[in-house]
Amino acid sequence: MTDSIFALIAEELGRIAADKGEVLPPLTADSRFLDGDLPIDSLDLATLLVVLEQRTGQDPFREGFRQFTTVGELAALYTVPA
Amino acid sequence: MTGRRPDWIHPAFRLIEGEEVFGWADLAALPMPAGGVVQADRPSRVLAALAAAETVGQGLLLARGGAESGGWQSGPGFSVTLESSGTTGTPKRLRHDFARLRGRLRGVAEEGARWLLTYDPGAFAGLQVMLTAAAAGALLVAVPNRGAGTIAALAQAARRHAVTHVSGTPSFWRAFLMALGGPETALDLPLAAVTLGGEAADQPLLDRLAKRFPHARLRHIYASTEAGALFAVADGRAGFPAAWLDAAPDGLEMRIADGVLEVRSPRAAPGAVDADGWLSTGDLVERRGDRVLFAGRLDGLVNVGGVKVSPEVVERRLLAVDGVADAAVVAVTSPITGHLLTATIVPVPGADDPALRVALRAATADLPPAARPRALTFADHIPLSAAGKKSRKGAP
Repeated sequence: MTDSIFALIAEELGRIAADKGEVLPPLTADSRFLDGDLPIDSLDLATLLVVLEQRTGQDPFREGFRQFTTVGELAALYTVPA
Repeated sequence: MTGRRPDWIHPAFRLIEGEEVFGWADLAALPMPAGGVVQADRPSRVLAALAAAETVGQGLLLARGGAESGGWQSGPGFSVTLESSGTTGTPKRLRHDFARLRGRLRGVAEEGARWLLTYDPGAFAGLQVMLTAAAAGALLVAVPNRGAGTIAALAQAARRHAVTHVSGTPSFWRAFLMALGGPETALDLPLAAVTLGGEAADQPLLDRLAKRFPHARLRHIYASTEAGALFAVADGRAGFPAAWLDAAPDGLEMRIADGVLEVRSPRAAPGAVDADGWLSTGDLVERRGDRVLFAGRLDGLVNVGGVKVSPEVVERRLLAVDGVADAAVVAVTSPITGHLLTATIVPVPGADDPALRVALRAATADLPPAARPRALTFADHIPLSAAGKKSRKGAP
């Protein structure tokens, strides 16, 4: 499963929110980005993707955009190291 | 206010701003801004202030954010001054003759159009959308508060009021598609017109928009500050047809000089062009087959979510921070905002990392959010290109 990626997303989103003086509400796989649920804007989301690439070495968007709306859908785009 | 309706506001024009609905009478009843300066955070305020300033024949400043406007001089007669969202922290102000500004509006909006305002009401593009909708007697849908959640609010408002015309930056569209959610082929928002501007439109995004809004007229606009809107591309492909270098639409002429696009336009401001009427756009282009594609800026500026930012300016700021031995600010591509600035920092030996992070953040805190480096990485050296220079752009 993508539990470790989910944890990584939660950690980095928490850091991004904290940098803005915001507190992240409890995150679930169904939490939606850019839907007003989370205190993040598109720049924060772009930052998250860069940090995830730095930490996982993976860029799921290299071949073009892949649709995701929720945290769970984003996590599923990354493969878990064996 | 006199309450006399200006000729650029059609009697049928309506503005929906969050839960409020404004017609001309409601706009006319809003309080007048003091000193010819209006905080341009709501379209209702901007339109009311424009009408009031025109009536009394006074200049108007559309102020964005907290820049000092005390020393601002309106000059004689009715004019509109816009503030740019620059990278230096101090906005540039550009005064426009209102009649000329309206003359630059291109195309007439169809009757019954319902526009969504995605741009800041104090930005040039925002003003264009507002004036287009007002003149056509269309409905203009706006959300009052900007910041986190704006895109979600815009997506909700778009659905709720069944908007038909949406114009925005490619970065807006990427975020908007995400906020709409659903499958890529959902037909839940039947748009008639999809317009992109402010940044180069990339092919994957154009393809996604064509799929999601198959019945919409899909256009990307190319404009420059000095010459306004230059052309619109409507064939769904990135860049523009290479044939336009020989014959361009609307009396426009184009040529490529040292990789930079130059234009000669009947609509260019006279002061901005050379003796022969040519204007360098500063945009790098590449000819590929039957197409000319945009390839970044000559001045090294990169577009982050519709805001032009300078990695060099930000890098100089970071280099000036105590405890920094070297710094490199690099633009990496982003599927959300087009580009994003990242910074690699080499601390001096013995530097306190947490304190340094705080100092680095403070050094760019007054810049617009898009111009601040996100993702700070500490390293023991900065990798240089083969030419011995810091490589400014990230890997494509």
